[in-house]
Amino acid sequence: MLMFAVRRALADMASHKFLHTVSIVTIALSVFIVSAFALFFNNATDFLDAWRKGVRVIAYVGGPVKDDQRAFLSETIAKLEGVASVKFISREDAFNDLKEKIGDQSSLLDGLDKNPLPDAYEITLTDAYRELTDIEKLVKKVAALPGVEDVEYAQKWLLRFNGMYNLFKATGMVLASVFFIATLLIIANTIRLIMYSRREEIEIARIIGADEKFIKYPLFIEAVVQGGIGGVTGILMLCLAFAAFVPNFAPETGFAFFEMRFIPMRFGIAIVLCSMLIGWVGCYLSIRKFLTY
Amino acid sequence: MDQLEKVIIRMSNVSKRYGKMDALSGLTLDVHENEFVFVTGPSGAGKSTMIKLLYLGETATEGEILVDGINLARITRRQIPQLRRKIGVIFQDFKLIPTRTVYQNVALVLEAAGLRPKEMHPLVMSALEWVGIGDRVDEFPPVLSGGEKQRVAVARAMVGNPKIVLADEPTGSLDPDSAARIFMLLQIAHRAGATVVIATHDQQMISSHGGRVVRLEKGCMTPQNQGGRPSC
Repeated sequence: MLMFAVRRALADMASHKFLHTVSIVTIALSVFIVSAFALFFNNATDFLDAWRKGVRVIAYVGGPVKDDQRAFLSETIAKLEGVASVKFISREDAFNDLKEKIGDQSSLLDGLDKNPLPDAYEITLTDAYRELTDIEKLVKKVAALPGVEDVEYAQKWLLRFNGMYNLFKATGMVLASVFFIATLLIIANTIRLIMYSRREEIEIARIIGADEKFIKYPLFIEAVVQGGIGGVTGILMLCLAFAAFVPNFAPETGFAFFEMRFIPMRFGIAIVLCSMLIGWVGCYLSIRKFLTY
Repeated sequence: MDQLEKVIIRMSNVSKRYGKMDALSGLTLDVHENEFVFVTGPSGAGKSTMIKLLYLGETATEGEILVDGINLARITRRQIPQLRRKIGVIFQDFKLIPTRTVYQNVALVLEAAGLRPKEMHPLVMSALEWVGIGDRVDEFPPVLSGGEKQRVAVARAMVGNPKIVLADEPTGSLDPDSAARIFMLLQIAHRAGATVVIATHDQQMISSHGGRVVRLEKGCMTPQNQGGRPSC
């Protein structure tokens, strides 16, 4: 029965090429768009993680720091939750560092009466403590320590990036839902059109004693194959687009610390399986309305 | 009629209404196994409706129909295909699938019954050769003449070796030679053991055979029926 259904499904697909091609292309485009968003989230998450790893909190101390105060602050900060290491940077070291960085124009600093830079502590965070809310908690604790005048971290950028990421995430979820429903309706409609074009054949098959399985199985197979081919095509389209555009992306933007990757294989397989499932559900919805004995 | 013969079709007080119109009213009729019955009457008399009720193309509004012991009012969805496999149906408009070859049209019955291609082949070829169209198995219905199409339809109706053959105006759109040939095939099927019920207004066919005749008028059986009681 199954082999027969497969043969009939393939023969039907061959005889309704246009209908199936349009359906497969539409599914492929939907999968392409949803997968592109998935690709973005995947890489945005990796990017954010990589960037957060580089985030350091700098605590500036008001006025010159005495040795005992310096040791006290170092120890206190090191004991705070989420702190991986603390490094004291004296105002002299900071000044020399600045001179090195500005290179040829360091003579500009020669005209200064005194070193304007404060003593500071550079705080590196543990891997598990890189969420914005965690960082903000730590910053509050550090700012409350005696002698600490100001605390800086990449707050503005983290906030912006987090906001952008969340916006894309919400948009992606809405779009994924819309495309999911659209794909479902497209497949349901294709199957309905196929059934409509074959209504006479289906009617004859019933009269001669065909049972529901005989009529339904080929249609389900067609829908699942459509979903599968559409899913694979969509992923391949994304793969080609990735291969064409991504190698030119990183060097120009200067994100040397971050390398874009394609969606993981298991995720791709899940998308294809999901399109096949959508095919099955779409067919079920059509058949339920169309086939009554 | 030998009363000991098994009743294969029993219609008891059967009515069929479409909206306010009565297509059949209180039809009561027994058809025995291996009987050859003509159902005749003018257009709109209810002949086609009666045939449709027997293969469950329609369901009766009232009354009881038994086909080979199965009560059609109580039949389950799963039983319907099994019932239909016991019945071969022939239509005036042939009802062949135009996108399938002659062979595939006939083989569909056996495919639906779950036979494998190897098992099907000799049966399909034998049915097609029986109706005299064994040399056109790869042709598609649109290129066949009306008579040839109806022969394919007869082959399709007979290939599953049905107990009952129902024919709804089987010669209605055929020339006299083709009609005679189709009628002859139905007679052979009858002689082979099938119960044959033909809905027709072809009086020549009826008089040439001389079998039992059920006359319908405006959905009712007329008093002059042989074997049936007047229903209205």
